[in-house]
Amino acid sequence: MALLELKDLHTFFQTKRGTVKAVNGVSYSVDAGKTLGVVGESGSGKSVSAMSILRLLDSNGYVADGEIIFDGKNIQDCTKKEMYKIRGNEISVIFQEPMTSLNPVFTIERQLSEPFIIHQGMNKKQAKAKVIEMLSSVKIPNPESVAKQYPHQLSGGMRQRVMIAIALACQPKLLIADEPTTALDVTIQAQILKLMNDLKKEKGTSILFITHDLGVINQMADDVAVMYCGQVVEMAPAKKIFTKQKYSHPYTEGLMESIPRLDTPAGVRLEAIPGAVPHPLDLPKGCKFAPRCKYATDKCREEEPTLVKIEENHQIRCFYPEKEMRKDGK
Amino acid sequence: MAKYIAKRLVYMVFVFFIMSILMFGIYKMVPGDPARLLLEGSKAGMKPEVYEMQYQQARERLGLDKPIPVQYAVWITNMLKGDFGYSSNYRKDVIDVVAQPLSNTMQLNLVAIVVVFAITIPLGIICAVKKRSTFDNVVQVFSVVGYSLPTFIIALVLICLLAVKAPIFPVSGVNSVGFTGSALAKAFDKLWHMALPVLVMVLGSIGSITRYVRAAMIESLSMDYIRTARAKGVRERAVIYSHAFRNALLPIVTIVTGWIMSVFSGSVIIENIFLWPGIGKILFDGLMQQDFMVVLAMQMFYVIIALLGNLIMDIAYCMVDPRVKLD
Repeated sequence: MALLELKDLHTFFQTKRGTVKAVNGVSYSVDAGKTLGVVGESGSGKSVSAMSILRLLDSNGYVADGEIIFDGKNIQDCTKKEMYKIRGNEISVIFQEPMTSLNPVFTIERQLSEPFIIHQGMNKKQAKAKVIEMLSSVKIPNPESVAKQYPHQLSGGMRQRVMIAIALACQPKLLIADEPTTALDVTIQAQILKLMNDLKKEKGTSILFITHDLGVINQMADDVAVMYCGQVVEMAPAKKIFTKQKYSHPYTEGLMESIPRLDTPAGVRLEAIPGAVPHPLDLPKGCKFAPRCKYATDKCREEEPTLVKIEENHQIRCFYPEKEMRKDGK
Repeated sequence: MAKYIAKRLVYMVFVFFIMSILMFGIYKMVPGDPARLLLEGSKAGMKPEVYEMQYQQARERLGLDKPIPVQYAVWITNMLKGDFGYSSNYRKDVIDVVAQPLSNTMQLNLVAIVVVFAITIPLGIICAVKKRSTFDNVVQVFSVVGYSLPTFIIALVLICLLAVKAPIFPVSGVNSVGFTGSALAKAFDKLWHMALPVLVMVLGSIGSITRYVRAAMIESLSMDYIRTARAKGVRERAVIYSHAFRNALLPIVTIVTGWIMSVFSGSVIIENIFLWPGIGKILFDGLMQQDFMVVLAMQMFYVIIALLGNLIMDIAYCMVDPRVKLD
């Protein structure tokens, strides 16, 4: 059974220049104990869909349509009080920027003890013991002295570990990781990912993993949702996406081809998807990806494709999902 | 920390002496002769010889017959011994001239500052939280009006409304004429007399401080760590008053210490309108009458206040923000 289910979610932002449809009809689900990877370029709506789950959108943002079902509850129907209980307790988040996500004027102990005090009714002394325990579980050396330090005294990797410790403090059912390793260098990234995978296995936490890095998705995810312009364009188990197979969305294909590989022969140019993500207030007619798609036909530019189930566990939003067919067509 | 403060204190002594030389030098360069001014009133009925003799005596009494470096040495030694000189205008010791007015000014300013911060800090926070709401917009408009209007206009309007049309508060003075009663009753009578000048000072400054607090809070509420706090399940009240406000404190500390330093300076306008015998008028008269001893003593007092204020500000920064290091 799915722990989290987004059904046809529409999240809009009211701006001076018009309504930005950041998330425009997204459905995905995260199963208990599994990791769903959400991939896409900046501005594809992946973070906004996650913030909608916690109801932590900016003041001009709102869920216009659709449902978010978490653990049998409809998040939209929850009261403010119920949301306080969900945030940090049942669902928690690791943010992208470890350098700015911790409060600079409070000690690590103060920030990490907050979830225990708020959600588990501990006093400061009990929370302190748990703080030390959590810091060691995310492999921070000298947890006692780190607890007394301020964020600016720690490195980026250490701060992200602290963020993970805060997120996992109350053993949440769902962990939303919003580009948790983007700001870190590669070796630290590998350590953090391993840490998250270990904790997931140990505690059985489900993870919603948001990233633009397909390599990271390959390491982390059981299932993958590829997002483009506020829509899911392809959804499949990770194994399917990362193996050579019959069907795929041209956008996913482009993303895959734009990853530098060790076995690419020297002198071969790396493929790139031409152009940029269209402005959310000026979306193209027809398929949103058509202007950048090398296979696009007149039909693509006129009509908008729907998300179609191609085979078991595999959905694609494209008129020409079969790879071979596209190449022949050209 | 203790070492840093000790270092700063030594440095302050240096600055104090340099400032004292500069100040003394500047007032010596001002044209005019306090000894002649002292005799101005009795000059008419005097023979020239007598006048000349009395003038020389006055010069001696005021120490003006000695070379300037010697005058400085005498003045600064006396200052350090607690003798602030003799006022040529009031014909008494400077300390007796300034003590009561300074105390009056401080009482008025302290009450005003407490009221100002009790209003502006919560108001600024509410405006930041309800950014661009009707409430915020109304406050913004009033704050612009508040600090655009000159104090004397606000003062006259308030006197007209609250002392003449609806006689709630007294027009001027420190205490009711011929007031008798217990010390407590007298203190309340004084507060009642303070009401209008305090109200004027509050209205004049409420706008700018509210804006500072609002801007600092908006800035800190937009930070990533606020989102983190919310995602932890921290109640919105705690997010605002604990997580965000602690970070907004740095700019607020700057304004608060600046204001606390200004407790000691009087306002000529308000003191004149409300007949509040404060230090502002004493300083103004001192300058007009070339009563340099009074002015110099007060200037040196303000130098010390400014130096101490800056030290306190730096220490306060250090306490509010762990990233600030003093060394």
